[in-house]
Amino acid sequence: MSGYRLATGGRVDRTAPAQFSFDGQSYEGLAGDTLASALIANGVAVFGRSFKYHRPRGVLGSGSEEPNALVSVDRGPGRFTPNLRATNVEVHDRLTAVSQNRWPSLKTDFGAINDRLGMFLPAGFYNKTFMWPRSFWDKLYEPAIRRMAGLGEAPTEIDPDIYAATYAHCDLLIIGAGPAGIDAALEAAGTNKRIVLIDDQNELGGGALADPSLFEWLERSVKALVDAPNLTILTRTTAFGYYHDNFIGAVQRLTDHLPDGGNAAREKLWRIRAGEVILAQGAIERPLVFEGNDTPGVMLASAARVFANRYGVAVGRSVALMASHDSGWHDVFALAKAGEGITAILDIREAVDDVLLKQAADIGVAVKLGHSVIGVSGRHGVKAIEIARNDGTGKMLVSCDALLMAGGWTPSVHLWSQSKGSLRWRDDLGAYVPDKPNEKVRCVGACAGTWNFGSGLVIDELPTPKDQARIKAFVDFQNDVTAKDIRLAVREGFRSIEHIKRYTTNGMATDQGKTSNLNGLQIASQAMARPVTDIGLTTFRPPYTPQTFGALAGHAKDALFQPTRKTNIDGWAEENGAVFELVAQWRRARYFPKAGEDMHAAVNRECLAVRERLGIFDASTLGKIEVVGPDAAEFLNRMYTNPWKALEPGRCRYGLLLKEDGFITDDGVSARLAPDRFHLTTTTGGAARVLNMMEDYLQTEWPDLNVWLTSTTEQYAVIALQGPNARKLLQPLVQGIDLSAEAFPHMAIREGTICGIPTRLFRVSFTGELGFEINVPTAHGRALWERIMAEGAQFGITPYGTEAMHVLRAEKGYIIVGQDTDGTVTPYDAGLDWAVGKKKPDFVGRRSLARPDIVASGRKQLVGLLTDDPNVVLEEGAQIVADPNQPIPMKMIGHVTSSYWSATLGRSIALAFVAGGQGRMGETLHIPMPGKTHTAKVGGMVFYDPEGTRLNV
Amino acid sequence: MSDTLVRTEPVPTVPFAGGGVTISRAAPMVRYSIRARQPQALETLFNARFPHKIGATEGGIACLGPDEWLLRAGEGTAIPMSEGLPLAVTDISERAVCLIVEGARAAEVLMSGCPLDLELFAAGRATRTLYETVEIILIRETDDCFHVEVWRSFAPWLWTALTTAATH
Amino acid sequence: MILIHCPYCDEKRPEIEFSYGGEAHIARPPDPSAQSDNEWESYLFIRANPRGRHNERWRHIHGCGRFFNAVRDTVSDKFETTYKAGEPRQ
Repeated sequence: MSGYRLATGGRVDRTAPAQFSFDGQSYEGLAGDTLASALIANGVAVFGRSFKYHRPRGVLGSGSEEPNALVSVDRGPGRFTPNLRATNVEVHDRLTAVSQNRWPSLKTDFGAINDRLGMFLPAGFYNKTFMWPRSFWDKLYEPAIRRMAGLGEAPTEIDPDIYAATYAHCDLLIIGAGPAGIDAALEAAGTNKRIVLIDDQNELGGGALADPSLFEWLERSVKALVDAPNLTILTRTTAFGYYHDNFIGAVQRLTDHLPDGGNAAREKLWRIRAGEVILAQGAIERPLVFEGNDTPGVMLASAARVFANRYGVAVGRSVALMASHDSGWHDVFALAKAGEGITAILDIREAVDDVLLKQAADIGVAVKLGHSVIGVSGRHGVKAIEIARNDGTGKMLVSCDALLMAGGWTPSVHLWSQSKGSLRWRDDLGAYVPDKPNEKVRCVGACAGTWNFGSGLVIDELPTPKDQARIKAFVDFQNDVTAKDIRLAVREGFRSIEHIKRYTTNGMATDQGKTSNLNGLQIASQAMARPVTDIGLTTFRPPYTPQTFGALAGHAKDALFQPTRKTNIDGWAEENGAVFELVAQWRRARYFPKAGEDMHAAVNRECLAVRERLGIFDASTLGKIEVVGPDAAEFLNRMYTNPWKALEPGRCRYGLLLKEDGFITDDGVSARLAPDRFHLTTTTGGAARVLNMMEDYLQTEWPDLNVWLTSTTEQYAVIALQGPNARKLLQPLVQGIDLSAEAFPHMAIREGTICGIPTRLFRVSFTGELGFEINVPTAHGRALWERIMAEGAQFGITPYGTEAMHVLRAEKGYIIVGQDTDGTVTPYDAGLDWAVGKKKPDFVGRRSLARPDIVASGRKQLVGLLTDDPNVVLEEGAQIVADPNQPIPMKMIGHVTSSYWSATLGRSIALAFVAGGQGRMGETLHIPMPGKTHTAKVGGMVFYDPEGTRLNV
Repeated sequence: MSDTLVRTEPVPTVPFAGGGVTISRAAPMVRYSIRARQPQALETLFNARFPHKIGATEGGIACLGPDEWLLRAGEGTAIPMSEGLPLAVTDISERAVCLIVEGARAAEVLMSGCPLDLELFAAGRATRTLYETVEIILIRETDDCFHVEVWRSFAPWLWTALTTAATH
Repeated sequence: MILIHCPYCDEKRPEIEFSYGGEAHIARPPDPSAQSDNEWESYLFIRANPRGRHNERWRHIHGCGRFFNAVRDTVSDKFETTYKAGEPRQ
């Protein structure tokens, strides 16, 4: 191919040159060019190497259907975008593009050996060959295949670009701004509808951009659309997916076409809800299938016309046409008019319209009817074509430097099909067209199968006197699928096109078969001697064209990736060196290391401070639900395992919540504030789940109860004060509450003020020490914390984090739902029999506690474990066996759920689930861990202060 | 001791202005979740009109569900309690903060992450909905002014999201 | 993202405001302790899981907060109707 810039014509700005580079070489293009048009204008023919055979490939099409000319655009570190179609990349100053899938260079590519070995790489080659040994897959086959059969490389740096996203709503969405889409928009512009018109090109017009006779109409129409107040126009925007209820995903490219995008968003994700959709996506020309049809310089006839009339670029100096459809004739007439040299017109048909013959004669082009191309010479560009009559006789060579293919048209029904609209086969078009809609949508123009490009003959593969089993006639250019691959699949027994597709990979490349699906279908149909409609049609799936991950993520990136919930006191923890962990969406202080301390040292210090003096802990993340109404106690009595009706106002109770299947789902201490008002707490991670579950029962099972639930998790900041000095510290700060042990016992709640702020003060403990949890309106949390820290200095007050909290509660045998339980644990399994109201006739989950599996013996039960070597801290999750000498695989009878070093006890402690555990007290069990199998004795779960004397002071 | 403690707020005190909107944090206020089977009982107790239709507002009261109202009023407003009555009044003053989104692009900025058609969401309407994954209560005060109630711990994220969207 | 008509709000709202709640019209037995093991198993675990028309529960969790029922076609994912909790099966 020897393309060049035509002296006149096209919509490019000849006064605005743009310097760009491709594979390190500098070129000049014009404003309005695509990378494809600019490179063709510079005489470049080879754009990349093919996926499997590494054959040199040029440009096939002119838009988003392009399967061959995939390039990577490099905009700097982290801004490397692979697999872009050169036909869609707009040229601008400093554009840096590189070709793909070649090593070491585009001209000399070692992988091209695959092309010579083609007979050894048939359809299903990978599936058949790289099957065993299994261990070779990860280390050898997969990396090797990846290196050889790759597309562009993904960048490894973090993408520094900014992406935007939005929802939008309209009454009418028009997708595609070719003549049909523009007509639809003009017609609707006069109504009061809110209209959005989107198109993937940089300017409106679609096919009209390649037809100078329509330029004046186009200018007039675009002006009318721009002036319409009810119309939003989105150019450079690809509608990539059609979802339920007329919900359309589209990506708008905002800055890639600019030399410097600055700090503006690169792309914007549009999530559009439309009352009605008009699809005007046009049609895509079909290539013809013959040997050598992938040679650089062989392209779609319509594409050559686009290059000439839109970009002012000739694809060659002597252009030949291979047609089975009238449209190709019109295209070469247009090329001739633009000044390109036309060498020959071949048409497989024995007869065509006289008008075409006359026009061909007028421009002096040789016409050969009933002929086909049977070969192409030239590896890096067309030099000549070999042709023959359809019966195989009359072989001859025709010199040319470009060969155009006109195989008919395929309506772009991608979005229509994604909307689940049905399709109808039209024999005359050899294509599926939209039939019955599934949404409020209609197709107009070429994508509906209506066009005025003339008629044609539908054919699977051009006839050839050569052995079809020995030639490469490409169907899917991007995945290197040939006609013989499809016929092989049929011979091997594949009958459904879905299976043929997956076996041959036809249509599975990034272009999703825009130019290959229908040809593949025809070939399979012929091979099976069954009509096309019998073998099905593959499913169209989003995205219509590949989109960047950045665009799909939209603004959900970096700081906006997902909310990190912070308590009111979090800022203090951060300023004081806390190490954080995420618990659900909450960020919680895990420990507060002092200089030189590791986690172990910090946690030991924090634990001892609580036991010996005073600890302070941010418990704000605990879920809270306020339960209010005359039936509040009745409701809680039905929800929780234990009795609630007799709980006096001012007292607290541990509540254990089961699901209806009898398994523990949550727990927490709750308080009765008044006869009709309870303050519930839930686990941090369970807050939303518990509220939803309670609402479910309330609304759907017991709608007669007069009780309402309100989440108050974020209404209160909660400061836990734990340790022997807790009361002493609180005494001077609290007003209106008698803190004495007699007036304010363990598991009680009082309302008053602290430092002048209203508080709900709980006397509760998750540490086993004298403890209070101070609830204050959230905004005051941090100031109160700081006041308590200041007042607490005299008592050696020590902030502690979730890690120390875990150790302290484990020393007391308090479980953590979700750590010591896993959704299959009953209260009996967890040793919480005392929390089950045996006399209650019903509560959620009660009936299940009598299920056969639940009452069966041998269930895993929670127990304490003490290692024989007190210095060994078992791994959480470690499996437990009864006999370490049994053959592998051993029978595992349980696992460790919680395991810590207890500074208080000077030894390790653990909780574990063990089959029949409560009957194994005193038994020695074995815990295999890396390096050694440890031994431990089964015991009770309470390791510290089993009488609870430290609580009740 | 009767000193008071300073408040710590989750979003900046200085409003954001740019891109055709201003985004600011409303002053602290009292908020109550009020629940009852019928609004009539509440109207008697509060001596105020309650909106009867979901999504409607009346004074500072928004009807969010068939048995749910959100009352917002200035700090210090006394609220009758519900003890003994078949209804529920719960203090949620500090649960949320209110971001005020004002200006010609207010609706557009909110639609960057809110899936509702805010062009058709008339002034005076209120609803619970989402901004991306974060639950909000959206109240359209006027054509160009929205109140966005959001739970405190989500407020910094929402502040960043809205101020970022305003620049796009 | 589908639109779901909330029978309480009486308008179509985007799917992300809703949460799914499984098959509808499976009432909790008034006296669970009177249930045989088989009856209780059936209540807990046995669901119709039809191909096609399905009565199911949804909650307008990020809206009015109410649970309601719907008839949805599990093949086409289209909602035939939605109705308030407590109303008869449709």
